[in-house]
Amino acid sequence: MIGRVLTWLVTAGIAAWVVFGYIGGMNLPGVPGGLGLLERIQPNTPFGFVRVENGWVYVVGGLLAVVALILLYSLAITAVSNQRSGRKRSPWPLFGQGVVHMFMWMMLFFAYYPILQIVAASFDPTNSLYRFSAPQSDNLLIRARVIPDFAQANFDNYLKLFDGVVIYAYQWVLLLVSGVALLGALGIAGYRRLKGDTKESGPLATLQSRALITFAVAFFLLIVFLSPEQFTSPNTEAKFLLWIRNTLFVSGLTGVLAVLLTATAGYAFARFNFPGRYPMLLVFIFVQMFPGFLGLIAIYTLMSNLGLLDPRYPILNFAGLVLAYSGGIVSFGTWVYKGFLESISKSLEEAALIDGATKWQAFTKVLLPLSAPMFVFIFLLQFVGTYSEFILANLLLTGSDSWTVGMGLRNFTTGQFQTKWGLFAAAAVLGSIPILLTFYGFQRYFVSGYTAGSVKE
Amino acid sequence: MYQSPPGVRGFLMSIGLLGGAMVLSFVVGLLVFWGLQAAFPRPIDNPYPGYLVLIFAVIPLIPLLILVARRFPFITDWYYLLPAITFLLAFTFYPIILTVYFGFTNYNGIRNNGKADRSTETQIVRVEGTRLVLAQPAADALRCDEPDCAGVQLEVTSDTQRARVTVAQAEGSAVELTRAPAFTPTLAYRVNAYSFIGFENFVRIFSQAGTVLWPVFVWNLVFASSTVFVSALLGLIIGLMLNNKNLKLRGFYRTALIISWAMPVVISVQVFSAMLNVQFGPVNRFLGLLGSYPIPWLTDPEWFKMSALLISLWLGFPYWMTATLGALSTISEDVYEAAKIDGATGWQTLTGITLPLLRQPFIPLLLGSFAFNFNNFGLIYLMGTQPGVEGRPSTAQAGDILITWAYKTAFQADGGQAYGLGGAISVIIFLITVAISLVNFRVTGALREVR
Amino acid sequence: MRKGWLVALGVVMGLAMAQGKLTVWTHYGGPELEWLKKTAATFEKGSGTKVEVVEVPFGDIQNKFILGAPQGQAADLIVSIPHDWVGAMAAAGVLEPMGKYTTASYVQGLNDVAVDALTYRNQLFALPMFAESVALIYNKKYVKTPPRTWDEFLKIAQENTKGNTFGFLYNIGDPYFNYGFFTAFGGSVFARSGGSLNAADLRLGGEAGQKAIGFIKDLRYKYKLVPEGVDYGVADGAFKDGSLAMIINGPWAIGDYKKAKIDFGVASFPAPPGGSAWKPFVGVQGVAMNAYSRNKTAAANFAKLLITENSQISFNQAGGRIPVSKAAVAKLKNDPVVAGFSPVIASGSPMPNIPEMGKVWGPWGNAISQAIQKPDTNVNKIVEDMVAEIRKGIGSR
Repeated sequence: MIGRVLTWLVTAGIAAWVVFGYIGGMNLPGVPGGLGLLERIQPNTPFGFVRVENGWVYVVGGLLAVVALILLYSLAITAVSNQRSGRKRSPWPLFGQGVVHMFMWMMLFFAYYPILQIVAASFDPTNSLYRFSAPQSDNLLIRARVIPDFAQANFDNYLKLFDGVVIYAYQWVLLLVSGVALLGALGIAGYRRLKGDTKESGPLATLQSRALITFAVAFFLLIVFLSPEQFTSPNTEAKFLLWIRNTLFVSGLTGVLAVLLTATAGYAFARFNFPGRYPMLLVFIFVQMFPGFLGLIAIYTLMSNLGLLDPRYPILNFAGLVLAYSGGIVSFGTWVYKGFLESISKSLEEAALIDGATKWQAFTKVLLPLSAPMFVFIFLLQFVGTYSEFILANLLLTGSDSWTVGMGLRNFTTGQFQTKWGLFAAAAVLGSIPILLTFYGFQRYFVSGYTAGSVKE
Repeated sequence: MYQSPPGVRGFLMSIGLLGGAMVLSFVVGLLVFWGLQAAFPRPIDNPYPGYLVLIFAVIPLIPLLILVARRFPFITDWYYLLPAITFLLAFTFYPIILTVYFGFTNYNGIRNNGKADRSTETQIVRVEGTRLVLAQPAADALRCDEPDCAGVQLEVTSDTQRARVTVAQAEGSAVELTRAPAFTPTLAYRVNAYSFIGFENFVRIFSQAGTVLWPVFVWNLVFASSTVFVSALLGLIIGLMLNNKNLKLRGFYRTALIISWAMPVVISVQVFSAMLNVQFGPVNRFLGLLGSYPIPWLTDPEWFKMSALLISLWLGFPYWMTATLGALSTISEDVYEAAKIDGATGWQTLTGITLPLLRQPFIPLLLGSFAFNFNNFGLIYLMGTQPGVEGRPSTAQAGDILITWAYKTAFQADGGQAYGLGGAISVIIFLITVAISLVNFRVTGALREVR
Repeated sequence: MRKGWLVALGVVMGLAMAQGKLTVWTHYGGPELEWLKKTAATFEKGSGTKVEVVEVPFGDIQNKFILGAPQGQAADLIVSIPHDWVGAMAAAGVLEPMGKYTTASYVQGLNDVAVDALTYRNQLFALPMFAESVALIYNKKYVKTPPRTWDEFLKIAQENTKGNTFGFLYNIGDPYFNYGFFTAFGGSVFARSGGSLNAADLRLGGEAGQKAIGFIKDLRYKYKLVPEGVDYGVADGAFKDGSLAMIINGPWAIGDYKKAKIDFGVASFPAPPGGSAWKPFVGVQGVAMNAYSRNKTAAANFAKLLITENSQISFNQAGGRIPVSKAAVAKLKNDPVVAGFSPVIASGSPMPNIPEMGKVWGPWGNAISQAIQKPDTNVNKIVEDMVAEIRKGIGSR
């Protein structure tokens, strides 16, 4: 009881310190510079800055009005339906849902506002994130530049990314095939969802998986056979498609390697009880706590000695990068997979072992087929994690032909003096499409992977 | 089946057998490689690539492993670990050990791994056995610390050859070497090598612990824990709201809100740092409409920290929303039905059933998220130039956490290359991370069940 | 027999590699990159040596080169390095002294400031290509004649700071853009003694440093010209938008201003109140050679082709950089940009190129950023701390 009270007291103390000292600037011990957050805001209105005195009153008032409307609506609806059905239902759940909807739309605004800005910047040919000449608009939000002005939008930035790219006929065909296959797969998925068809097998499911495989194969061929010779423009940014290719290549391989390395190790840790298992597990945990990428120099020396930095063979450079990334996931992936296997009952394998199967057979025949979601998760984790990495990539890859998307994006914003925001934004919008597709396509794997109760770090 | 020798003996035996087989086959690979080089030499600028050693090593390794397994069947358990261990050794352990070693040296760009200093290029007028006569006075041209240059390493070159020699002593422009070079050199350079300096780097770091290490560490802790706290809280709230089966559009909200998790950090953080510009950023423009004066998001040290938290909230809440929904989906409906029958209110169900049930799956996620954010390099680094704080060096400013401090020290400040000092900071980060994790493990008992 | 054949093949292959190819790292983009590729093609035709142009981001070149050159992973030439890297890279042993590849008459045809800048400990480490410095660039729509005195400047700047236009903005947090104010109040980075810089004698602090940083702070809080949140992107964007009257910027930005159809002029910044003439940093960029290159003769020939008078003129036409060949400057004297920047460059002083300079930038920028955070910052204390940090950094080497 006393402990509880104490906990609350301490929490309240910290909260009071934060609110009154850190934010409000009252003279409390340990406040940085004796100056609260609010006092650090200088009360001046710079030119071109639209400030509405007490504007928050309108906004809060507006929100309250919406809440009131929701309340009226739910009262009315419940009253009407109660009268019809003769039951006595409370209006509060409906009101609660209305407020939740309002809250969700505010969250959507919070989540999508940066996206809106970057999309707007990608259509802005002046290469800046800031416009100075005030947009001529009656809309206060646009005039204050809260909402970007699309009046002068054009596709210049996007066109620059594809300037001078020569695409051969067979690549158009592949593109067409993969596009149709992807659309088909998405269409079938949407149709099945509408119909409420969740069966794992059936003609539609088969068709969907075939379409997906067709897409994967065609897209893979497209990526593999895209070559630097097809990029004829002298501008760096016109190699954007090549960067996408490089990134998919590197991240994809890293993901596959991660799965290969962690599968057997996770199995051994989960099922065998050999002496040294526990110390090895500890080694696997603690080794990943070293800030690995600070070993840049060592990694560089290693790759150089292995002959993987030879500028004549970009494929070797990519291999070096994949190897350098692979160290990062091994321990985490092993732990995740071990946790997953421990949640599967041992009875299946034991039956197989009694039937005379070896451990290896038990693993490959019984456990591997069950582990597909976990492998997808480990693959995705590594794929997403390395997709926009740029520090190691910058070190091991040289020349704009072998840049990855992350490096290209970084290059736009770290010129000697200039920042090419327009190109950055356009490349960001297009470059994030593969990763967004991956995320949305495999959303349930992420959810199940993280929440299998297995991530114990 | 087979039985491993128990306990420490079995462990050491397995490690010894595996290590022995790997070392042996690596040596074989190296020998084959050298043999190839000697038998079929390739020109110096187009040598055999080093990865051939690995290929040559794998070829004898496989039969060797099979042989070992015949004699000691219990070792096969370890073979499952072999790929992971090999990769860890090569691409994690090796860089770590080298970095730790650098931490005890004064390695930097200038003491570049024992390379010749080109700005000391001096012509050799003549060579008399072990005596070189230079075009200029040696101590000056070679920039020796001592007037007689004793012990200074030199690189001497001719048009086609180069060699390392050591100076015994120098007088005027004559240099006495300990050993005569094998050819007639024409140019001499001083060699800048890095050396072992013991704990000097650590002493340097701890000597400014009050102004750098401590504040950075405290902010790092505050950053990691409050990031986890705010984003988990928001994600939890949204997740609980979306768990309502009667809510329309819940699938849409869930899918749409994931965007900030999916977006690559290199994009979103840089966009945020542009949006948070004090006068021109849309965020302040928006707040201006609400009556706020421009908030110095990125130009004031304390507000910079707030910005870091804001961005990490944006980046982090979808993860927690997803985690909450995933964990809630495993709670059976019956529990709620029972609670309803007992007449529990919504609030009672939440605090009495839902939250306690979420505790178990959330603890490992919270720890993992804390560990991730503790070393969240991408966020802080990509936020760009930071406002200065009085009395702090340029590598450790308002928002810098340990890892960005180490990175900036090793690769950005100091003309770009203070590898030694950076290595020392990495060691400190490692120790701190391990210590924090041990505390976490102890508190939550995460390790106990593994055993 | 078979072995001999293989050896012969290897040798031939090796020779072909060595003869056949030069690798060049560059941080240029757009028309300048195109220019470099064209020049490379010309060279290829003339000499038969293939030149491969590889783009490396500006910020990565130094690190990658120092790491990669000894391992044989770096390019034969870098086009181009700013001269302030020269000291560090030469000491790291990766740059080839270029003196032996040049003639005295060639060196005499160059701007002295440029040659000085690329010389470290009496050795020329890169062949100068172009120079750059910041100057006052003004939009003729707002500024009819460039201001000659501080009062004129202030009047123009304050008159134009209203509504949606700004009178004067620049990248206020960056020491590079601010150095002119330090010289105006009598400061410099290091003292120069006998033709070389003395790292032990730091001249950024003291009264000069306090006055300069005080003045920079005044630009924000007293004269109310450069508000918070202004960085390079903001100032540059405003000028491109046509809503800024005056900016401190360099020749690299000119291309964008022309593209944005701004009618601009280039002039020197007037002497700030209480100070003498404003002399900015001069940056010189030059072609540097890898000390570990296996193809030094060809590399030197290509480097020399890049810096001929004609190349400098065509390079200027591609990207607007200011040539360092006296003859090229004379031929381009009708170009308003060259004519505007050349006197500023001639009067300025080169950035220090000794490796110790690497210890200065960070604390220096930090001090400026601290001083301009709030109206009531203690400039004298900040300058003292800055000097102490720089001294500590230099001493620890």
